[in-house]
Amino acid sequence: MTAPLKAGPGRDWADAFAAASNDDPEIQAHGKYFTCTYLLDATDRSYAIKVESGRVTEVTTDPGPLDVPYQFAIRASTDTWRGFGEPVPAPMHHGIWAASFQRDMRLEGDILVLMQNLRCITRQIELLRVVGSPV
Amino acid sequence: MSRISPVTGHYVTVEADGLEYKVFYLENGTGQPLVCQHTAGCHNHQWRDLLEDTEITANHRVIAYDLPRHGKSDPPENTEWWKEEYKLTADHFVNFIVALCDALELEDPIFMGSSFGGNVALQLALRHPDRFAGVLSVEGADYSPGFYLDWWQHPHANAAQVCASGVWDLMAPQSPESDRWKTWFYYSQGSEAFKGDLHFYSVDHDLREDLDKIDGNRCPVVMLTGEYDYLTTPEDSARTADAIQNATFIKMEEIGHFPMSENHRVFRDYLLEALKTLETKTSA
Repeated sequence: MTAPLKAGPGRDWADAFAAASNDDPEIQAHGKYFTCTYLLDATDRSYAIKVESGRVTEVTTDPGPLDVPYQFAIRASTDTWRGFGEPVPAPMHHGIWAASFQRDMRLEGDILVLMQNLRCITRQIELLRVVGSPV
Repeated sequence: MSRISPVTGHYVTVEADGLEYKVFYLENGTGQPLVCQHTAGCHNHQWRDLLEDTEITANHRVIAYDLPRHGKSDPPENTEWWKEEYKLTADHFVNFIVALCDALELEDPIFMGSSFGGNVALQLALRHPDRFAGVLSVEGADYSPGFYLDWWQHPHANAAQVCASGVWDLMAPQSPESDRWKTWFYYSQGSEAFKGDLHFYSVDHDLREDLDKIDGNRCPVVMLTGEYDYLTTPEDSARTADAIQNATFIKMEEIGHFPMSENHRVFRDYLLEALKTLETKTSA
């Protein structure tokens, strides 16, 4: 078995992430009402991810302060996100709850929107194991 | 080979603190009772593979019950429970478990619980050291704050999915996907009880000043915690075990907070080690 090709940070990563999410059977099966925009903030890089009815329709890389409105942000250091990008993440790099409780991840903004979409966002973040680190 | 499982289900009426419960339990095996408590907001199917593990059921009567308000165990029969907020306390949790063991007329049972069950295992060792042959505290600690959250019951979010996906990260990526999804599925069924259970787990349970009062010679304690558990980390359990007389801590690799449910194949080896350790402590 060969390791999947991983995208480099920036535009390539954004496109690979969108494709992985839009091709994912679980998100497509359960994402009918998965609609929100959130910021994945990896300190050195950031991405505003827009999802409409389960499909990623836009990923803005390194948005400026007022470029893209988003409802909540998932922020962490480059080290933490790099752990998420491993095929088998080490303990506490294996999910946003784990990294928030035990590392430097912060969930900010309208957390209710995160909770309303938790099932699909959990899956999206898990796709980093295949897509690779965003930073 | 018969396709009918040897696991059987029964109901038993249990009274605790004036409350009457009709409690459902699954059981299989013969020998020393091994009484199993599921995690908060869940039910006894978490122990499905243990109940059919012939190496363990050869010497143990495995009893996995549904705590009242979970699975097939209804809320109390004799109160208007719907008029009160459910908040589990250490007192009631302990009194219920002892009453259940009495109702089943169990002699020298081993108690095993995971997560809030691991925490109550320590409470049992502290308060009823002579009622149990020993306790196995899985994913337990002296104190486990931080999970008594309104999100589990927030009316603007899908509580079933918040509970189920909220505990997803408590499992290890190495655990079989099908077993993790079964655990997710169980959690989608328990949102009404989950928060009230966590009142015990994160608020009422606090043994930080009492660990030295647990008599680990009268009631031996073995603690087991998975390295992917972000709520009760191996460090939390190790610290707790260090402060309990005659206690042993076993760190479990490549597994998380629901070991019996997410990956029984990995968990069972640690469990067999724990049972052996308990036996050594009991005969010492």
